Amino acid sequence: MPTVKINGIEVEVPAGTNMIEAAAKIGIEIPHYCYHPHLTVAGNCRMCLCDVEAGGRGPDIACNMQARDGLAIRTDTPRVKQMRKSVMEFLLKNHPLDCPICDQSGECRLQDYYMDYGQYESRLADPKVTKHKRQDIGDHLVLDAERCVACSRCVRFGDQITGTGELRLFNRTDHTEIGIFPGVRIDHDYQGNLADICPVGAITSKDFRFQKRVWYLTDTDSICTACATGCDIKVCHERNQVFRIKPRRNDAVNQSWMCDHGRMIWQDLTSLGRLLQARVEGQVGNTDAAMQTAVETLQGAEPGTVGVVLGTQASNEANWALWRLAKDALKGASVFWCQGNDPGAWDRVDDLLIDADKNPNTEGVRALTRHDASIGDGADLAHAVREGNLKTLLVLQDDVLGRLGDAADGVAVLYIGTHRNGTVDKAAVVLPAAHTVEQDATYTNRRGQVQRVRRAVHPAGDSRPAWQLLDRLGASLGKAPGASTAAIAFKKLSAQVPAFADMTYRALGTQGLPLVAPQPEAQTDQASQEHHEPAK
Amino acid sequence: MTLPVQRPRSFLERLFIPEILRGLYITLQHGLHNLFHQDQPTVEYPDMRRVMPDRYKGAHRLTTRPDGKVKCVACMCCAQVCPARCITIEAGEDADEPIEKYPVQFQIDMLRCIYCGYCVEACPKDAIRMDTGIYEINSFTRQDMIHDKAYMTDLMDGKKPLAEKFYRDQPDQAPAGFDGTQDRVVSVDDSRGL
Ligand code: SF4
Ligand code: SF4
Ligand code: SF4
Ligand code: SF4
Ligand code: FES
Repeated sequence: MPTVKINGIEVEVPAGTNMIEAAAKIGIEIPHYCYHPHLTVAGNCRMCLCDVEAGGRGPDIACNMQARDGLAIRTDTPRVKQMRKSVMEFLLKNHPLDCPICDQSGECRLQDYYMDYGQYESRLADPKVTKHKRQDIGDHLVLDAERCVACSRCVRFGDQITGTGELRLFNRTDHTEIGIFPGVRIDHDYQGNLADICPVGAITSKDFRFQKRVWYLTDTDSICTACATGCDIKVCHERNQVFRIKPRRNDAVNQSWMCDHGRMIWQDLTSLGRLLQARVEGQVGNTDAAMQTAVETLQGAEPGTVGVVLGTQASNEANWALWRLAKDALKGASVFWCQGNDPGAWDRVDDLLIDADKNPNTEGVRALTRHDASIGDGADLAHAVREGNLKTLLVLQDDVLGRLGDAADGVAVLYIGTHRNGTVDKAAVVLPAAHTVEQDATYTNRRGQVQRVRRAVHPAGDSRPAWQLLDRLGASLGKAPGASTAAIAFKKLSAQVPAFADMTYRALGTQGLPLVAPQPEAQTDQASQEHHEPAK
Repeated sequence: MTLPVQRPRSFLERLFIPEILRGLYITLQHGLHNLFHQDQPTVEYPDMRRVMPDRYKGAHRLTTRPDGKVKCVACMCCAQVCPARCITIEAGEDADEPIEKYPVQFQIDMLRCIYCGYCVEACPKDAIRMDTGIYEINSFTRQDMIHDKAYMTDLMDGKKPLAEKFYRDQPDQAPAGFDGTQDRVVSVDDSRGL
């Protein structure tokens, strides 16, 4: 690995690392607009100019300087300061300064860098060049060409990531204008990313438009649970209300992207079918009473006729708690899991991020089944129900009745879940569960990456995290799984299931860890992998 | 804890009677003066009231553009700077205007406002001002103390404190002789520099 010197500090980085990343490693920020870690280097904004002390000819742009032995750069010379100031003056020359009505305000690089590196007096005597404002370029996007700094990030995204290439920079010099080809509209599933990567307010989100000033928002790191990919996200919320979801960088999962469907999962929190109160035989009531009914049903059931169904929609903790409940409190209960999507699930799929499996935790449940071979699959469940061996089913967020249809008539279903579905309508008892944005838990994505979700807002209505409901249910039945907090539940899970061995919430951090492979000798050493901070 | 204050007193002062008489004399002086002169510093509020100096921070108003729409673009600078956190703005998109963003609703909770004037200073659009000179910010309900966009936009035309509006709306509760149309207010110019 080559060693480079930045401002006199030596740093060793993998070959091919550019100077922006190398400097970030030792805490030196090199301002940049056009460089993005997951796009090619365009080198057109010139904001990252640095002085080259040795190993090259300078000044040169940091984004295009790759680490090589002997390279030494400086970012703190008067010349660098002057260059940054001049670049800012050029970029802002015709800028409309719409900040009061610009949604980017507060997270805008023009604002930030002006305060850090600009601070010049305007010398512009001519009228500013005007361009097209407020253009509708897609279902989720608004384009304001005047605010663009022509960094070409959005153009490269369209060319290199989605391959749709709708955006181009037209004309030259002062009149360079970002736009879409005539008659074209951006209609792929990754539009929101364009608003994210635009370092200024030229491309903004239509869904978030004027909803909130960004400086009021608090970010909570989490993951998207709309499909099995489990993109890393941050949930931006204020006063117990979610306003938007943005992707977070995780090179092992989603790079820096996420799909537009995942951005709107927070709308599920208050959507029409949300379960906010417990129900007994369709009658809305309080949780304690419903819990009592559930306990009586389970205690009154004949031994051997109780089954539990794990949920690929639910967290590792909840599935573990249900599994323990079946083993300890409901001795002899058979455990099942159903693979595949619930009827009526969202059906988009592509080879970029959106997975065909819309369950965020299929791999987590599969890891449990690998550990406990007695867990039956969907076919076993259907068989047992048809044979009439099961009279009571405790179901964790899985539309079991939607799958089984009439075969399950006569089975008493106790359901724990977040939203109304075919099972809820026929269930004897329904306990409302917290949404992923409302609880601490972990999910295992399609590649086996175990990642945390963190509570951003309070659980709506009477809903509670599923692991907590199951723990209370267990306590009433005489043996609680012991999930007093999510962290404790996860600790017990990792102690009991080898695939999660040695994992703790702290070790999972912001980027998660891969499941431990079944064979001990095949263990990966990724546990020590350093955590990437999301790129700005 | 109390601290004794030492005051040297002369013998005459310690007798008290001469001091009391001296005080009565001062009062009598003023009384006689006022009997024959009309330069009292007090005004007979509320029948008369002062014209406030230009920079007096009174009730807020929202300024308008020539077409009558508010100048405010719902940037939230005022709401952000307000130390009392009493400004609530709901932003919306104006499809016809080049300005795009406008406040659908704009409310100031005058019960919480501390009249610091930061909102006026923060506004990049000169959209909010406290130059109405209105200091009678009162009402009979808490709800009326939340000044909204419509109220603050029209404030300069009406120039009526809310209590008078209340009496106009509920004439049966108005004091005897109150007539919403009559202007009982005589403004007093403060040219004496009081
Ligand atoms: S892009 Fe940045 S500098 Fe330009 S108007 Fe928007 S917030 Fe202001
Ligand atoms: S619209 Fe944004 S991302 Fe695209 S070139 Fe302009 S500044 Fe860059
Ligand atoms: S005067 Fe001060 S306290 Fe009152 S609304 Fe303005 S900023 Fe807030
Ligand atoms: S600062 Fe001015 S323009 Fe901005 S929201 Fe307040 S009144 Fe409106
Ligand atoms: S980041 Fe290097 S030139 Fe733009």
